[in-house]
Amino acid sequence: MECVVQGIIETQHVEALEILLQGLCGVQRERLMIHEICLKSGPHLGTVASEVRLLCDLEQSEPSWTVRHIGGAMRGAGADQVSVLVRSMVESKTSKNALRLFYALGYKLDHELLKVGFSFNFYRGAQITVTVASINKMLKLHATDEAVPVTPGIQLVEVTAPATSETYTEVASAMSSFCEYLAPLLHLSKPGVSTGVVPTAAAAAASLMSDGGGTTL
Amino acid sequence: MKWGSGECGEAEERRMEGEGEGQERLNQAVQQQLNLKQVKSRAESLSKAISRILEDFDVYALTNTTPKWQDILGQYSMVNLELFNIVDDMKKVSKAFIVHPKNVNAENASILPVMLSSKLLPEMETDDTSKRDQLLQGMQNLPIATQIDKLKARLDMIAAACEGAEKVLADTRKAYCFGTRQGPAIAPTLDKGQAAKIHEQENLLRAAVNAGDALRIPGDQRQITTTPPMHLADALPVNEAAQSFPDGSNLFMKNTPMPSNMGGQNSLLQTSGAQLLGRSAASPSAATSTTTFDNTTASPIPYANSPRSSTHMMNTPSPQQQTPQQQQQQPSVQQQQQRQKLMQLPQQQQQQLLAQQQQYRQSAMQGLGQLHGQHQMQFSQPLGHQQFQGRQLPSGHVQHGIGQSQLNQGNQMTRLSQFSGPANSALFSAAQTTPNTQMIPNISGTLSSQSLLPRVQFGLSGNNPQRSHASQMLSDQMFNMGGGNPGGMMPIQQQQQHGSQAFGSMASNAQNLQSGMVTLQNTQQNHPNFSQQRQQNPQ
Repeated sequence: MECVVQGIIETQHVEALEILLQGLCGVQRERLMIHEICLKSGPHLGTVASEVRLLCDLEQSEPSWTVRHIGGAMRGAGADQVSVLVRSMVESKTSKNALRLFYALGYKLDHELLKVGFSFNFYRGAQITVTVASINKMLKLHATDEAVPVTPGIQLVEVTAPATSETYTEVASAMSSFCEYLAPLLHLSKPGVSTGVVPTAAAAAASLMSDGGGTTL
Repeated sequence: MKWGSGECGEAEERRMEGEGEGQERLNQAVQQQLNLKQVKSRAESLSKAISRILEDFDVYALTNTTPKWQDILGQYSMVNLELFNIVDDMKKVSKAFIVHPKNVNAENASILPVMLSSKLLPEMETDDTSKRDQLLQGMQNLPIATQIDKLKARLDMIAAACEGAEKVLADTRKAYCFGTRQGPAIAPTLDKGQAAKIHEQENLLRAAVNAGDALRIPGDQRQITTTPPMHLADALPVNEAAQSFPDGSNLFMKNTPMPSNMGGQNSLLQTSGAQLLGRSAASPSAATSTTTFDNTTASPIPYANSPRSSTHMMNTPSPQQQTPQQQQQQPSVQQQQQRQKLMQLPQQQQQQLLAQQQQYRQSAMQGLGQLHGQHQMQFSQPLGHQQFQGRQLPSGHVQHGIGQSQLNQGNQMTRLSQFSGPANSALFSAAQTTPNTQMIPNISGTLSSQSLLPRVQFGLSGNNPQRSHASQMLSDQMFNMGGGNPGGMMPIQQQQQHGSQAFGSMASNAQNLQSGMVTLQNTQQNHPNFSQQRQQNPQ
């Protein structure tokens, strides 16, 4: 299971956000370039279509593949009380043959996207990962070199943390208290709930980016 | 120390007041300035405020909530200010008094010597002199007035520097809208148009990430025209061209209206497809099969009857490793993988196999009718391949259900070698080990419209002394395909239909299929299940 929230930030403020995150997390940022291939199963593989995502990490010299299955989100009164989305998620590293395997099983390519940005991974009440990336689409199949952003002026911020069914409340509260620190720059919400940009973002970004401007005594 | 001085001072003043009549009275002016009552009330209210804050903290700690820091900071600053004011007022008048301790206890004991002393402690005195020397270093010899002037000048410079720093801080605060302690100034708002645009973009982005909208390439553009990037260069299967949905959503829409009980049929069809891949031969009708088989018998594979033929089959490389050869007829989407498997077979057999498969497919389609057969078959083939590949199939033959009379062992072996794809290589190897026991009755799992006779047809009637009885044949190990469905399968074997045992495995779903299968009930039990050995044949 994982807890996840998403938010958006204008591209011009991304650098300020990075500075803020650097200060909050205390770890170095990691560059991110992930080619995400979303596969959907054909109708013969069971009565319900299933979706599987293959993530190829292109940042390293040796691309590494991960397979991820995202399940349904938690519903009910408990789900409404937490401010994060809690959903089942299964992830595993896999060899590069994963794509061929899934094709052989009968999965078909549904869509693919390329995420380019950076991420921070740290512990603050829970193992939190913050990803700031621009989402790019490929006009030609698998042409990762020619990817164009879906929304040029806006990037996606995603905060995730793994959880289990027993610990998700603590993880959710740790995540939401962390997200409060980001409030001057952006608002985070459950995926699917739109937030808009924060009006103080410009000022906050300016203050983060400023180098003081004081006169020497 | 502040509190201490305040306390002691207060104690002293009170005492003095108490004895005021008898002794010298405080100077009226001093007394007024001191305003003891007011100081007392102020001190009391201050202590109340502080205790309130402390209580709030306790509540926060107990309920484990996060405190609202702005409120607390505000309260703290008020308390701080008040205390400062009180002490300041006290300081103004404290010069008139000296400390005369009434009560010495543990708290006061350490402070009192310092407070009572009129001279600095030795250490403090040396400190003082050293600092003074440092300050007046260059000016010792000059007259005092000059020294004073120089010190004043220094003070002025420092004051000016401090003022400048304060000004810069204030200016910066204004420029960046930090606002005063009361909170931020009016937050700048986006204009409506910009906000709407951003909202739209945001929805687009969120939809793209979570659902993949606006990211799907239409089917006609899904051919890979450029060389794939490095990480996909060997990750993509060869001849991958049609791996994607022509239009994914449409496909699902087409298939979802199908009733759920079709699921069984789907799997059945799949298996029929699988069978096509894996089986030796599928001939839908006796008539046609006769002809085809006649053709095949005319051109046996070299070494068809030798033990090496099966090993040859076994050792064929997997389709992925093969280089694509020229394609056979009837190219269709999803046929490519199948073609790869066929490649190892000689040309004629490939053609025949394909032809048979087509025939079989067509009959299966008719039988089921409602399904979008094309899709089914296409999907099933890869699956079928998957199922067969690498399975540990116990000994068994796939028998071409031609007719009882048409098979003899030699021919059978021929046909098996001819028509089995690589998926059945294990099957053949097993077959090799027990050459005499390989008769598999035809089991046709398709729901064809033809009537299904509840009779098991055996290819080798009487040829095999060990397996002469139908039940024995059925219970032959070769039916254990592994991974089977204990539910009983689709056993069915019709003269017209051909199915390999593989069919049986999928057949469990077929039980709820149509009425045509009703007659199969009997044979279902008898049908060797993949995971069970059939004990007897109720036939």
